[in-house]
Amino acid sequence: MNESLHVSSQFDEDLSRLRTHVLQMGGLVETQVSSAIDAYTTGEVTNVKTIVETDRKVNELEKAIDNDCAHIIAMRQPAASDLRLVFGISKIVTDLERTGDEAKKIAKGVRRIYEAGHTPSQYGVGVRHLADAALNMVRQSLDAFARLDAGLSLNVIRADDAVDVEFKSIIRQLITHMMEDPRTITVSMDIISIARAIERIGDHAKNISEQVIFVVEGRDIRHNKEAIK
Amino acid sequence: MQRALIYGLLTAAVSFLLGYFVEPWMGWVLFYLGLSLHLAMHYRNFSRLERWSRKPVLDASLEGDGEWDRVFRRLYRHEKELLEKIELRERDIARLIAAVHAMNDGVVLLDGLYQIQFCNKTAERQLGISSATDRGAAITNIVRQPEFVDYLARGDFSRSLVLRLERYFERVLSLSVITYADDNWLLQVRDITQTDRLDSMRRDFVANVSHELRTPLTVLSGFVETLLEIDVDRESRQHYLQLMGEQSKRMQSIVQDLLTLSSIESAPPPEDEVVDMASLVDKLRRDAEALSAGRHQIVLQIEGQGDLHGSESELVSALANLVSNAVRYTPSGGCITLIWKVSSQGAEFAVQDTGIGIEPQHIPRLTERFYRVDRGRSRDVGGTGLGLAIVKHSLNRHQATLDITSTPGKGSCFIVRFPSARVSDV
Repeated sequence: MNESLHVSSQFDEDLSRLRTHVLQMGGLVETQVSSAIDAYTTGEVTNVKTIVETDRKVNELEKAIDNDCAHIIAMRQPAASDLRLVFGISKIVTDLERTGDEAKKIAKGVRRIYEAGHTPSQYGVGVRHLADAALNMVRQSLDAFARLDAGLSLNVIRADDAVDVEFKSIIRQLITHMMEDPRTITVSMDIISIARAIERIGDHAKNISEQVIFVVEGRDIRHNKEAIK
Repeated sequence: MQRALIYGLLTAAVSFLLGYFVEPWMGWVLFYLGLSLHLAMHYRNFSRLERWSRKPVLDASLEGDGEWDRVFRRLYRHEKELLEKIELRERDIARLIAAVHAMNDGVVLLDGLYQIQFCNKTAERQLGISSATDRGAAITNIVRQPEFVDYLARGDFSRSLVLRLERYFERVLSLSVITYADDNWLLQVRDITQTDRLDSMRRDFVANVSHELRTPLTVLSGFVETLLEIDVDRESRQHYLQLMGEQSKRMQSIVQDLLTLSSIESAPPPEDEVVDMASLVDKLRRDAEALSAGRHQIVLQIEGQGDLHGSESELVSALANLVSNAVRYTPSGGCITLIWKVSSQGAEFAVQDTGIGIEPQHIPRLTERFYRVDRGRSRDVGGTGLGLAIVKHSLNRHQATLDITSTPGKGSCFIVRFPSARVSDV
């Protein structure tokens, strides 16, 4: 009796450590995204370097967490909600890592634009707004994971539609620019790739939130428009 | 205790006498009956006590017989004192917690594993913790900034950590961790946004003043050296002196603006003369036309009538500054509209141009001293970098606000709003 209690509390500790590691990785990714956005507005190239360096840490954490997940499944055979948590984490980690990659893409795009002697905010005014919305989604999805809050996750999932709409309008705006003045095509293409990366970040935040709902409620709401209404 | 003993002995004595003198069996029966009665009484009281102990509330109806009553009364008194003490202590604790919540600094109590035990309202606001859901969670789950996670992991709390959170309106927080009660930690969060901003403003100001003054000074001393060492002909000498004159004039105007700024800052409230706005606005239009020299179209719109109370010279210089900015930053062929509007809510003076516009991130900082959107450009057109700072101060003294809206490439609009108390109807 006593021994099984001991074992299960050790197990709880393992799980909570796993969660803390995921959120630590989340914190790194959050910082990457927000400094990428800062770089976009200010053109600070030093930021770009740190973003790329942080990416290495993120990758390592991803591998370590995945390893821990496998370890927990193999050693402890978790069931029900614990199993969902472990599964959810291994998927969330993938999305986080890709978010970091998108942040890196943004940073590199920003560097290209500034090195060519342009200021991106001259062309894509809405990008900053889009980026803020996506960053907010990342934050809230991590908050929802920290608190296992399904309601907040739903909010994030709904916010993704607004981000998609805004992304499309930015594309339209840039296409108009390019038609008016073909000299802006190079910059506009870079801005489009940045905007696309931001939109992808929103998608990853949405995926994370879907996993949180899976962990909390046990229902899979991916590709199910009805479930989020 | 005594009474119970006496009763027992008495029963024994009477039974013995009865048994000895009458019939032994009668004595035994009496003894048995007496003891049973005694036992029944004790049992009744005991069952009362037992019932009460299952749910020990303060109950005055708890009464016993004989000896038991005294026990019950003592229990009652003890319970009552205890409750009073608890209530007092609870009130103390509630007061302490209320005080902690009322603090301007954020306080988070953490256990040995940095899990949140308690946090006050300020900390909830500053760090985005919600004490309803986050109690028992590791603080790094909520405050995920890598710097903070590293700071806790390092465990060296001799220096506080300065954390920039853009999540909540660009706050700058100073966090320090203090150990208390063995293995517990107290995280203290101070909001230093204001001091941080003041610090950087002061640094910027000093750096800017020296930079702005040194640039013309370098030019001046360069020419002085040249003139001293090389024998130049009359013509170039004239040219050099002219350039030197320009630079010294430039320094003069910077110093003049600095003096104006500091005199406005420390001056008493402006005089309360009535300023004839119709002629003032007309004068501003004529100034604009003179400055533009036909390169722009200047339009004047007047809606409603009314004059302002205030210092004429300050108002003229502030509004003229806005107008001259519009002329300077609008390319040839643009249009500048001066609007003077009086309504029941107050008065409004607006300068709208079709100039180069201002990027949104510069707008909040435009009225800072020496803040420049584009350093080279504004110095080319002869600005000292203090104009808008002076404007803002003069307007503040008239309780007026300056609103700036702008679209890069399309133009800007500077709107000065005067409260109705400053407007007099004509």
